[in-house]
Amino acid sequence: MSAFAEPTLPAPYRIVARRQDTADVFTWTVEPLGEPAPTFLPGQFNMLYAYGIGEVPVSISSDPAGGPLLHTLRAVGSVTRPMAALQVGEVIGLRGPYGSAWPLAEAEGGDLVIVAGGLGLAPLRPAILGTLARRAQFGRLCVLYGTRGPAEVLFADQLAAWRARGDIEVRVTVDRATPDWTGEVGVVTRLIGRAGFDPARTTAFVCGPEIMMRFAGEALLQRGVPAARIHLSLERNMKCAVGYCGHCQLGPHFICRDGPVLAWSRLAGLLEVAEL
Amino acid sequence: MTLRELVESQRFCEGLAAGQCDGLAACATEKTFTPGDYLLRQHASADAFYLVLEGQVQIKLALPGQGIVTLETIGPDEAVGWSWFQPPYRCQFDARAVTPVRVLAFDAGMLRALMERDPAVGYAVLKTLVATLSERVQSCRLQVLDVYAPPGEPR
Repeated sequence: MSAFAEPTLPAPYRIVARRQDTADVFTWTVEPLGEPAPTFLPGQFNMLYAYGIGEVPVSISSDPAGGPLLHTLRAVGSVTRPMAALQVGEVIGLRGPYGSAWPLAEAEGGDLVIVAGGLGLAPLRPAILGTLARRAQFGRLCVLYGTRGPAEVLFADQLAAWRARGDIEVRVTVDRATPDWTGEVGVVTRLIGRAGFDPARTTAFVCGPEIMMRFAGEALLQRGVPAARIHLSLERNMKCAVGYCGHCQLGPHFICRDGPVLAWSRLAGLLEVAEL
Repeated sequence: MTLRELVESQRFCEGLAAGQCDGLAACATEKTFTPGDYLLRQHASADAFYLVLEGQVQIKLALPGQGIVTLETIGPDEAVGWSWFQPPYRCQFDARAVTPVRVLAFDAGMLRALMERDPAVGYAVLKTLVATLSERVQSCRLQVLDVYAPPGEPR
């Protein structure tokens, strides 16, 4: 694979399946045309390239233990919109995996709280699957998910299956309810006060829009989770993905190389920075 | 747990003397609601202040032409209603039980009178109320921001 031999050269991958998750979110299953896909750690991302259009960083949303390689994308920009129109059977470029991972080993032995907003559930899915594969190594496990409305709930079947296990607290809230929605309503940060975990022995993984992560981090701190055990996944202007170009620099960090997963304690004051 | 113990276990009783907790307990009753029951009705007299012990409550508002919208849900250890504190003491929203709900219900008139008589009790209750309001205002701001909207979409 290209990540080490030539870090900016994409390898060809074929789209072998496509699932429409919500109105503007879809998941690709991709397979390499050449060498086998490299292994990855939960939280890492790949650079996906639509030939002749452009390249974007996309978190890996599949099971780190193996199986099909999945990427979940939202059709919102000048690259991802054309990507949404690609058909099964077409070929894209892919390079990676890059970046830091969710520190699952650090979370072992204590409680783990996952706070996801919107599409932020996708990069956390591998971490949740990795945790469930070694469920006995963790204390209480809480998945707190917030999104815009009932139609935007991502991986709804998966969330229901996790809830049905009985050994994981799954809470889903929406900012804007429809009349038929019987679940919780309100921002995801409100769920942090309601979830059953012991703050002093908790590790938290947070992913979503930056403003949501900022308030979620503050709510976790207020509940008593230590700053060094709150981890966020950032995504700012990533371009080269290997720490060359500096587009994604946030203070002393290159998000692509030092992140995307960074501890809250390393981000003091940086989340208030609008743009550098 | 007796009613007195239940009241004393609430946050606003931290630091209050036993007699002051007795006063608060005298304003309180334990109530249950079944799914679909209303704890509060819009425009009705705000004669109670609730602390949820168990269950889930929806805060709802009727929007002309759009039906009834759920604005937020309230869970255990959270307060329902603050119109009881401010004239004209009329509820602004509906509060409806989604699940079986158990609450501590404080008689609004008795509680206001106690808070006037004993400022230490009044301050303790207000601290809880302000913390609740602060949290709700922050949540509303985030909801208004519509953080999950597609980039470029009007908010």
